[in-house]
Amino acid sequence: MTPSPEATSSPNRSAREFYLPPERRKVEGGGVPHVSAKNFSIYYGEFEAVKKVSADIPAKYVTAIIGPSGCGKSTFLRSINRMNDLLPNCHTTGSLMFDGQDVYGKFTDEVLLRKKIGMVFQKPNPFPKSIFDNIAYGPRLHGIRDKKTLDGIVEKSLRKAALWDEVCDRLDKNALGMSGGQQQRLCFARTLAVEPEILLLDEPTSALDPKATAKIEDLIQELRGSYTIMIVTHNMQQASRISDSTMFFYEGRLVEHASTAQLFTNPKDQMTEDYITGRFS
Amino acid sequence: MQLGTRKLLDRAFTALGFGSIAMMGLMLLVVLVPIVGNGIGAIVFRGTVEHRRMLYNEFHRGDAGRLKLELAESDAARSEVYGMLDRFEAEMAGMDAVRREEYRPKYEQVQGALRALLGPLPHDEAPALARLKYGQTRWDKAEERLHDLLFEKVWDYSNPDEMAKSYEVSRSAAFKGTSLVKLFPYVENNIDRLLQPRWTLYWGFITDSSIDAHFFGGVWPEIQGTLFLALGAMLFAFPLGVIAAVYFTEYARDGFLTSLLRSANSTLAGVPSIVFGLFGLTFFINTLKVSESKSVLAGSLTLALMILPTIIRSAEEAILAVPKTYKEASLGLGATKWHTIITVILPAALPGILTGGVISLGRAAGETAPIIFTAAVSVGSDIGLADVFSSPTQALSWNIYNLASEHEAAAEIRHVQYGMVLALISIVMLLNMTAIILRARISKKLKG
Amino acid sequence: MNGEAQATEGRSPAFVVSPLRRSLQKATKTAGHSLLFLVAAFVAVIVLFIFFFVARDAVPFFQIKGFSEFFTDTRWYPADDPPVFGALAIIYGSLMVTAGSAVIAIPMGISAAICLSDVLPFSVRQYVKPVIEMLAAVPSVAFGFFALVIFAPMLQNYGGTLLMWAWWLIASPLLLLASLVLSEIAAARFPDEKRRKLMQRSLLALFGTASLGLLFVIGRNLQAIEIVTGTNALNVSIILGFMALPTIVSVAEDALQAVGRDMREGSYALGATRAETIVKIILPAASSGILAGVILGIMRALGETMVVWMASGNSSHIPDPWFNYLDSIRTLTATIAGDMGEADQVTGSARFHVLFAMGLLLLVISFISNFISERIVVRQRKVLSGQ
Repeated sequence: MTPSPEATSSPNRSAREFYLPPERRKVEGGGVPHVSAKNFSIYYGEFEAVKKVSADIPAKYVTAIIGPSGCGKSTFLRSINRMNDLLPNCHTTGSLMFDGQDVYGKFTDEVLLRKKIGMVFQKPNPFPKSIFDNIAYGPRLHGIRDKKTLDGIVEKSLRKAALWDEVCDRLDKNALGMSGGQQQRLCFARTLAVEPEILLLDEPTSALDPKATAKIEDLIQELRGSYTIMIVTHNMQQASRISDSTMFFYEGRLVEHASTAQLFTNPKDQMTEDYITGRFS
Repeated sequence: MQLGTRKLLDRAFTALGFGSIAMMGLMLLVVLVPIVGNGIGAIVFRGTVEHRRMLYNEFHRGDAGRLKLELAESDAARSEVYGMLDRFEAEMAGMDAVRREEYRPKYEQVQGALRALLGPLPHDEAPALARLKYGQTRWDKAEERLHDLLFEKVWDYSNPDEMAKSYEVSRSAAFKGTSLVKLFPYVENNIDRLLQPRWTLYWGFITDSSIDAHFFGGVWPEIQGTLFLALGAMLFAFPLGVIAAVYFTEYARDGFLTSLLRSANSTLAGVPSIVFGLFGLTFFINTLKVSESKSVLAGSLTLALMILPTIIRSAEEAILAVPKTYKEASLGLGATKWHTIITVILPAALPGILTGGVISLGRAAGETAPIIFTAAVSVGSDIGLADVFSSPTQALSWNIYNLASEHEAAAEIRHVQYGMVLALISIVMLLNMTAIILRARISKKLKG
Repeated sequence: MNGEAQATEGRSPAFVVSPLRRSLQKATKTAGHSLLFLVAAFVAVIVLFIFFFVARDAVPFFQIKGFSEFFTDTRWYPADDPPVFGALAIIYGSLMVTAGSAVIAIPMGISAAICLSDVLPFSVRQYVKPVIEMLAAVPSVAFGFFALVIFAPMLQNYGGTLLMWAWWLIASPLLLLASLVLSEIAAARFPDEKRRKLMQRSLLALFGTASLGLLFVIGRNLQAIEIVTGTNALNVSIILGFMALPTIVSVAEDALQAVGRDMREGSYALGATRAETIVKIILPAASSGILAGVILGIMRALGETMVVWMASGNSSHIPDPWFNYLDSIRTLTATIAGDMGEADQVTGSARFHVLFAMGLLLLVISFISNFISERIVVRQRKVLSGQ
C-alpha cells in the first residue's frame, strides 16, 4: 500500500512541501500526489459542471473541498471513482490520474477502480441487512467466502471505525435499527472492509447531530495517515479542524487550493476570502 | 351567492364524495355478504340421513355403526309411509276404471314428491343417476320438497288479460275419503324421524370430487384447476415481468424505443380479456399447437400474457421505490451493476414485487374469459400434475358460470354455486389481503 | 513513459486492465443488456402477435361476407341456412351497456376520487383504499353470478320500487339544492335587500314545491313499471359501472394529487370554499388525467365478458325504444364467448371467423382509446411540469 520510492522521488515531489501544513504532524510516505487532475472538466450534456480543474491530491492526508452549493465540489468528488457514470449524458474531458493511471482511460475497469477508491455518502445508507452482512458485502463481492476470514475482516473494520465495542454483541441485527451516527460509522467500516486506498467522503456529517459528528471527525483523524481522504463539506469549521489541505470551488472552477492553514488564514484569492469570512455562501 | 348557500353547496359536495365511497363499500358488502353467507351453507348445513348415507356409499366416510342405527330408525318410519302407498294401490285396484284414472296422475305426483324427498321407493328399479339414488341430503331443501308433497301449485288462467297467477292447494284434499289421506299428516309430523337432520360440517366440499355433475360431492377438482392455471401463469409471467421491469428501471434510456415499449405495455394491459382468449386459441392451440386442444398449459400461457403488464408495472414501482443510496453504496464498494441489482436492489424491492405478483396471481385465478377457449371444461376427470401439458381442467371461475347458467338443474344446486363462488372469492381475497398487509409493512419499514 | 510503467509496478492490482479483458467485459455487458432488452421487447412482440393473429382469423370472414352486413344488419342468425351475421344490434348492445355503466361510474368515480384526495384525512384514506382494491379484485364471474342469481330476481320482483327509491335518493337532494341555487340566482337582480330576500323566499317555495311534485310524480311512475326480465341492460350497466369504478377512482385520484398544494392554497387564500376550489381550480387542472382514467374505466366495461354473458339476457336486438334499458341485449364479448362453442373451430367457417372479427373490433377500440388516454396523460404531465 505504501507508494513505491519511485513515486516519492518523482518530479512532482515539490507538492509535498507545498501542501504540508507546518503545524500538523507529518505522515510517513505521505504527500505525493495520489490523484491528479489536469484540465479536467465534467459535463452534464451541454452544461459544464466542473471547469478545467488542475490539482494534485496529496496521499495519506485529508483534503477538504469547500464551496457554495452547486459549485461542482460533489460532482468533482464523485467523478474520482466514476460514480457519475450512473448519470446519463455525463462525460469528461482532460485527464484524471490515480496512481499514475488514467481513471477515464479506455481500458479502465470501473469496478476495480471503485474497490480502490471507497466512498461514504451524505446520508447513512446501510443495506437493509444485518450489520455483519453489511460489512461482509464488499469482501464477499471480491471473492472472500471463508467464514473465519470474513469474521476477521468484519472485526477489524468495525474496530477501525470505532464501532466494534458498541455492536460486537449484535452483529446479526438489522443495520437499520442503529442510530444515525452508528449507521454512518458502519458505512465507514463497510467501505474500509474492501481495503481502499482513497476514501471519498461526500458531506458525511451533514445528516448527523453534533455528538455523532464529533465521533465521525475523530474517526477521520484516526484514519488520516493510513488513507488518502477527500471530504466535501459545507461546514468550514469542520474543514479547518480536520483537513490538511483545502480546495475552494466556485461555479465549477477550482479557485484556490492550498494548505488548510494558509487558505483559512491568508487566502490568495478575494473570492475565497469572501466565502470563508461568510460574505456569501 | 350568499355565504350560507356556498357553504351548503360545499357540504353537499362533500356529501356527494362520501356518498360515492359509501356506495362502493355498500356494493362490496351487498355482493360479498350473500355470497359468503350462502357459500358457508355449502359447508355447514343441516344434513339428513340421506347425506350421511350418500357419503358412506360414495366416499366411504362416516360412522358405519351410527349410520346403521339412524337408517334403522328412519326405515321404521319409512316402512309406515310405504305401507300406506301399498294400501292405497290396493285400494286403487279395487276402484272402477274412471275413478282410478282420475286418481292415477295425482298419485304419481305424490310418488314423485316422495322420491324427491326420501329417495327411490321400494318397488322402483335402481336408478342410474346418483342424484336419483338418494333423497334430499340437505334439510333446507327437504323442507321445500315436503312443501311440494303437501301442496300442489295450480295456475289460474281465468283472466286472459293478466299473467296467470299461481296458488296452492293441499294435496290431501284431493285424496279425501281414501286411505292415502293419512299419509300427508304422517309425513309432516314424522319428517324428523324420516330424515334425521343433524348439523353437519362438510369439509369434503373443499376436498372431494363431485358426483353426478355437482349434485353431490365437492369442488376440489375446480380448486386444483384454478391453482394450476394461476400458478402456471405466474411461472411464466413473474420472471419475465421482473426482468422486463429491471430493464425499464435500470437500463432503458429515455428515447423513442423505450416509450414505444412502454406504450406496448399499456396497450397489452388494455386488451379485453376475451380477446386474450381468442388469441390463446388461435396462437397457442391452432398455430403453435402447444397441445392438441384445450390444456392447462395453453390456459396458463394465455393468462400469463394477461397479467404480464401488471407484474411489470408493480415491479417497476417497487424497484423505483428502493432508495438510490443503496445502489450508490453497492457500486461504491466495487460491485458490478448486475451484482448490485441481484444482491441489493431486488432483495430490497422484493416485498413490493411480491405484492404485485400476489395481486396478479389473484387476478389470474379469478379470470374466466381467457380460459374459456384455452383450458376450461365443465366436466372431466380429476387431473394430476403430469397432465397439465395435455389435459384441460375444470376451474372455479368457469364452473361457476357453467353451473349457474348452463347446468340443467341450476336452481337445484344453488348451494354448490354459492360454495364455489365463496371458494374463488376466498382465494382471491386472501391473496389481496396478503398484498395489502405486505404493502402496509413496506410503507412502515420505509418510514422507519 | 518508462517512469510511469515503473510506477505501476509493485502496487496493488491495477484498475487499468488489458485491452482484451476490457473488451470482454464490454461484450458481456452488451450481451446482458441486449438479453434484458429482448425480454422487455417481448411485450411489444406479444402485442403485435395479438393484432396479427386475431386479424388473420378475422380477415376470412370479411372475405366471405364483406363489411356491410356485419356493420349494418341487426339480424344475427349464424345457425340459419343461409346464415346472417348482422352484428349491428350486438355492437349497439355493447355501446348501450358501456354508456349505461359510464353514467353510473363517472360521477361516482370522480366524486369518490375527489373525496379521497381532498376531503378524507390520511388516517381514513388508509382504510378506504383497501375497500376500493377489494372491489377491483372481486372476480368478474362473481359479479356475474351476483347479477344473475341475486340482482336479476330482485329487479324482476321489486324493480319498480327499487327504481323509485333510487330516484328519490338521487334526485331529492339534487333538486332541492338546484331550487335553492336557482331562486338565489333569480333573486340576485333585485338591489334592495328586503325585496330580494322576500323574492328569494317565495321563489324557493315555488321551486321547492315544483321539485317535490316532480319527485313524487316520477317516483310513482317508476314504481308502476313492471320489469319483465331481470337479466337486462340496466342490471348489467349497474354492475359494470361498479366494476369500472376502481380504475376511474385510482387514476383520477393520481391526477388530482398531481395538481399540487400550491394551487389549492392559492384558491383557499382568496376565500373560496373547498367545493369552489375543487370545481373551479383543481378539476380543470386535472381534467385530462381524469379523462384518461374515465377512458380506461369505460374500456373495462366494454371489454368485460362474464357479467354481460350471464346477466344481459343475450338477445340480439336493438331494444324498443332504443333507450329502453329494461330490455335484454347482447354484447360483442358475450357473443364471442357464447358462440365459440357452437362455431366449428377447425374448418374455419364464417361462423368461426365472425367471432374473430368481433374480437378485432374490440381490440381496435381498446387500442385507440388506450392510445388516446396515454397521450392525454403525457400531455398533462408536460403541462404540470411547465414544459
